[in-house]
Amino acid sequence: MKFTPELEFSGGRVKPLHYDDIDALYELYQHPEIPGQRPLQDKEHLNRMVDYSVQMAATQRGMMWAIEINGEIKGMVSGFDWQPSQLRIMMRVDGLPTLTIEEREKALSVCIDFLVNKYHIRNFGYQWIEGQKEDIKTMLLKMGFDQTATLRDAWRTGEKTFANVAQYHFISSKKKPVPKRLGDGHDDDYSPGQNLNGTSVKGGE
Amino acid sequence: MNWNFETDNYIIRLPVSDQDGDALYSLLSQQTVVDHIPRAAMTVENQAIDELRRIAMRFEGREAVSWLIERKSDGQLLARIGVQHINWMMLNTQMQWELNPECDLAVLTEVVPAILNVLANDLQLRRVEMRVRAGSVEQKQNLEALSFEHEGSLPSQFEYNGEDVNFDIYSVLLG
Repeated sequence: MKFTPELEFSGGRVKPLHYDDIDALYELYQHPEIPGQRPLQDKEHLNRMVDYSVQMAATQRGMMWAIEINGEIKGMVSGFDWQPSQLRIMMRVDGLPTLTIEEREKALSVCIDFLVNKYHIRNFGYQWIEGQKEDIKTMLLKMGFDQTATLRDAWRTGEKTFANVAQYHFISSKKKPVPKRLGDGHDDDYSPGQNLNGTSVKGGE
Repeated sequence: MNWNFETDNYIIRLPVSDQDGDALYSLLSQQTVVDHIPRAAMTVENQAIDELRRIAMRFEGREAVSWLIERKSDGQLLARIGVQHINWMMLNTQMQWELNPECDLAVLTEVVPAILNVLANDLQLRRVEMRVRAGSVEQKQNLEALSFEHEGSLPSQFEYNGEDVNFDIYSVLLG
């Protein structure tokens, strides 16, 4: 069963997490970009993360992609806190220091486009935590996100230290899906949640 | 830790599943009491029994606490005030309240600080936020009078009665 697609963008692609990528993901987790996050100690955790990435996508709770540039994994795009019935999700990108802001934007953008078209998600949230790179905020605005709130001390960085969180949202202009009866609507445009390997689904193999 | 406490004029206590159904139904069957969440008012009494069971389960799972606010003089239930989505890693939570029309700012001014005190001192939480349907004027007045700060708005959080609901977000920092 396959729920997370490979998606191309100019200069790279995003792809599902795979056990073969554990070493590269471990390297990524040695460079946490979120304030207060420590480098990962136990590589075994990443095996479980790959397991979870499949389970989360299958149950529409989240979706995770590795960002591959010239054959090298340089980051991850994650969708989490997915609320399918409310058509919203939170997004996040983690990257190696070598991941450029342009690559970050393209990777995030291609994932958002997929989630809009395949799952009809309309509301994409992104939390920028004080201390992260400033150019991420510029990137979000360029992509059409708006900063809608500043959550004071919403991110814990230490035992008794906290950081503010700037919350951004992008609302897709695509129309909401029209509810249909169960069993109806086997057309390509209305097949949320189905296995991408299925032959009746757009993008299936 | 004692989860039940009191102020000069009010008792603040955890609900009792097999005793509080009628009073809770009486409160939550008023549409104006839940408009700011927003949620449909209860229409049958069994919903209150189910709600009390859910409250108990969520409390035991350490994810939420609900308190009933009773007036000492006559035992009248004035409000349910609670916290949910407690994040023990980030030390924050979301407060929610349903207020009887008699539960005005004077009541809240006595009761809410007592609850925040428990959240700060016993649960060691740092941030308490409240999300209310955007444009809820009375909620805004109450929250600001209680020193909650408006932090912005979260758009299109869900659909209710055919409309997208935006949340205004307020918070108070503890400690």
